[in-house]
Amino acid sequence: MPVGSEASAWIAGAPAPFDAAVAEAARLLGLSAAPVFAHLGADVAGLREAVLLAEQVGGVLDHADSPGLLTNLDSVRESGAMLTTPLEAARADLVLLIGDGVFDAWPDLTPRLIDRLADGARVVWLTGSAGGRFESIAIGTGVARLAALGRLRAEAKLRPLASTPPALRSLAQSLRAAKFGVAVWSGADLEPLAVEAIHGLVRDLNETTRFSTLPLASPDACAAETVCGWMTGFPPRTGFARGRPEHDPWRYDSRRMIAAGEADCVVRVDAFASDAHIAIGLGEAPANVRFEVGRPGVDHDAIFYDARVGTFVARPAASPAGRSVAQTLAAIRARLGGPPC
Amino acid sequence: MLTRIAGGRILDPAQSRDEVGDLWLQGDRVIAAPDHGRADETFDAGGCVVMAGAIDIHSHIAGANVNTARLLLPQQHRAHASRPAATPLANAGWSTFETGRLYAQMGFTTVVEPAISPHHALHAHLELADTPVIDKAILAILGNDDFGLGLMRDGAGPDAIRDHVAWTLQSSKALGLKVINAGGVAAFKDNVRSFGFDDVVPRYGVSSRQIVKTLQRAVHDLGVPHPLHVHCNNLGLPGNFQTALDTIAAAEGLPLHLAHLQFYGYGAEGKLGFSSAAPKLAEAVNAAKSVTIDVGQAMFGQTVTISSDVLRQFSARAQARPSKYVIIDGDANGGGVMPYNYRDGSFANAVQFVVGLELFLLIDDPYRVYFTTDHPNGAPFTAYPDLFALLMSRDVRAQWLSRLPAEALAVTTLASLTREYSWGEIATMTRAAPARLLGLKDRGHLGPGARADVAIYRPGADLAQTFRAAVRVWKDGECVVRDGALTHYRFGRALRVSPQPDAAMTRRVAEYYDARYGLDAELLSVPEAALPREPFETVACPR
Repeated sequence: MPVGSEASAWIAGAPAPFDAAVAEAARLLGLSAAPVFAHLGADVAGLREAVLLAEQVGGVLDHADSPGLLTNLDSVRESGAMLTTPLEAARADLVLLIGDGVFDAWPDLTPRLIDRLADGARVVWLTGSAGGRFESIAIGTGVARLAALGRLRAEAKLRPLASTPPALRSLAQSLRAAKFGVAVWSGADLEPLAVEAIHGLVRDLNETTRFSTLPLASPDACAAETVCGWMTGFPPRTGFARGRPEHDPWRYDSRRMIAAGEADCVVRVDAFASDAHIAIGLGEAPANVRFEVGRPGVDHDAIFYDARVGTFVARPAASPAGRSVAQTLAAIRARLGGPPC
Repeated sequence: MLTRIAGGRILDPAQSRDEVGDLWLQGDRVIAAPDHGRADETFDAGGCVVMAGAIDIHSHIAGANVNTARLLLPQQHRAHASRPAATPLANAGWSTFETGRLYAQMGFTTVVEPAISPHHALHAHLELADTPVIDKAILAILGNDDFGLGLMRDGAGPDAIRDHVAWTLQSSKALGLKVINAGGVAAFKDNVRSFGFDDVVPRYGVSSRQIVKTLQRAVHDLGVPHPLHVHCNNLGLPGNFQTALDTIAAAEGLPLHLAHLQFYGYGAEGKLGFSSAAPKLAEAVNAAKSVTIDVGQAMFGQTVTISSDVLRQFSARAQARPSKYVIIDGDANGGGVMPYNYRDGSFANAVQFVVGLELFLLIDDPYRVYFTTDHPNGAPFTAYPDLFALLMSRDVRAQWLSRLPAEALAVTTLASLTREYSWGEIATMTRAAPARLLGLKDRGHLGPGARADVAIYRPGADLAQTFRAAVRVWKDGECVVRDGALTHYRFGRALRVSPQPDAAMTRRVAEYYDARYGLDAELLSVPEAALPREPFETVACPR
């Protein structure tokens, strides 16, 4: 939209009154046999309305960053975990970074964690291949990484393997000697088995010392996980096709559903994009109906997940403007006859 | 809107009222019978018991640790039978929506989530705002936080501690203060694996006893109605009754609330080294008039334990069933989540079950013993109806006891206890007493001016069923439950105290957050305006 335009809603690319766009969105969702929320980039209020609307239309809730989120969560719910928070992690005397993607997953990792460690704290980075900025050991990726993590776990459990490289053996000794170690990785970057191996290693280390983990995932995926959790009992990739929430990471994978032609109406909520919007229609880039929405914490008061603290924070808007995701989705749900909630 | 609840047995221990009569509601209040009133709506409560809405002082229903439990245990809430969708998310098992619905259907109208780390207060309030019908509150946790322990280490004095408690209550919008394994969780960060009441926290040089006494005094001095809510050290361990006795003795005449005392009622007698010490604890509670307790009754079945006693949860990790656990090293207390299955064929679980009931039956004053299951740690709150039936009927107890291992009964006294709770005692324990304990003047009774939170039960042969499905429930004068089923949502409010924060302490906390975290302390506060659907109601601090 050109700057200065009054329109905040479009139908099939043409500017439309908000109410007409709401009606069209409601019509599409009402007709749909399998509506899919393929992305949930929203503040808490917006997420809440997305869950309610998904229930109303028998839809599926997913998030574009679900793969990384679920890689982390799957391991936790299969076998448990030792976890810590971003603030507490700064107390560590040893930080073990794993995988090349840690800094992509948390761009503020250096200022928020590394730079805040006490003098003398050690940072070791298990990279894929490249030498890292810190003391680093290249352990490869995929099967090679699994093997290396397996060796590290065995060595840390004082079950030495003849073929363990000296650097890993020495690292295992350091892990055992740490007073409070923290392992950090990105779920988007590691194989599920690698995450499981790290949790096993950390569990073992806690038999004699204190060690924890800080698994990273995208902040708005963490928000979606948490809000879907308290509203439905489940994280994203939860569907209401049968009236009750059902969680199935394969069946309710929105990319798979779109590619397979199962999804006959797609909703993308993207309030954190520079052109904050909701798009509804067919395919990966739906365009039948589009709403411009306010930016959380900028155009309207908002509560969202803050990676610096690992929980929700509130941010009031400096100068309120525009409709929020929550207001837009609530209007669609009301149009469909959803009861107040 | 004028409502007449006609001809029920009005059971209102707070007003010493137990008589068949009418109760009148106007708007959101109970009113005296009007001289010429014509009710807009009359409910015939003949044969029914009319009580104020029940109040639960200790139930883990919201917040980061509860949500971790939900995500850890997808199998726990799969395969719920679908219900007709009269209310949104009615079919979502273990959601906040289900929590509100199930509580309301049992006639509960106010519930306290008792363990929220201040940094997660906003998250907890968000979940509570999505818990329909009931009013709610949180207790904020201190006693393992670096700033507070630092004040004690540095000999900051009672005024500074009081100001810090006030700042915390204000910042997290809490109704009261909780301490969980005081100092023990901080010690675990330094790899300490067992921690008693007189053990000293490394780095800080203060004992658990000092922490409890210091915070007890601060809460008292602030005039916060609810006394310091204490989760003692050594939870769950054989012989730990001594820890509870020591903590009770340390109250020294000032108000102190001990949470889930059942988990501290264990001796080390018998050939398995595990026995009931409930009689000793009950005797101590009976003698210590300033002390109140809730029981944390264990019932049988699969549940999940959720606790900010990270040391205890870690130590018990081998008992997880299914075998997985999450331990969170938090900014202060953190949390531990561990599924657990209480089995009636298990000697230890049977002893736990019996210890809880012994505490109920041996503590004389129903104003000082509360009915919790420490939801979900001893059992889900949905077990309350069965618990009330157990307390009210020797016959029901006998049926349950017949399923338990004889060796377990041999190390307890339960079989010899004949006491049966009266309806009046149940009403006291679930209504009058918790309102008094929390300082809620317009709740827990049915006198004129009381909030129109009313629950009606039809007593039947099956007492548990009686309490499971209230015939009618009014919340703020609006009928929300009919014949045991929620008809629609309305959203309640969050109760909190609002002690005046001290400007110097606010500055000092801000400096601390800046130095330690590089953050504005306000970032982790709960702003009043952040939760438009959950208005805060301030409970007065009389001092």
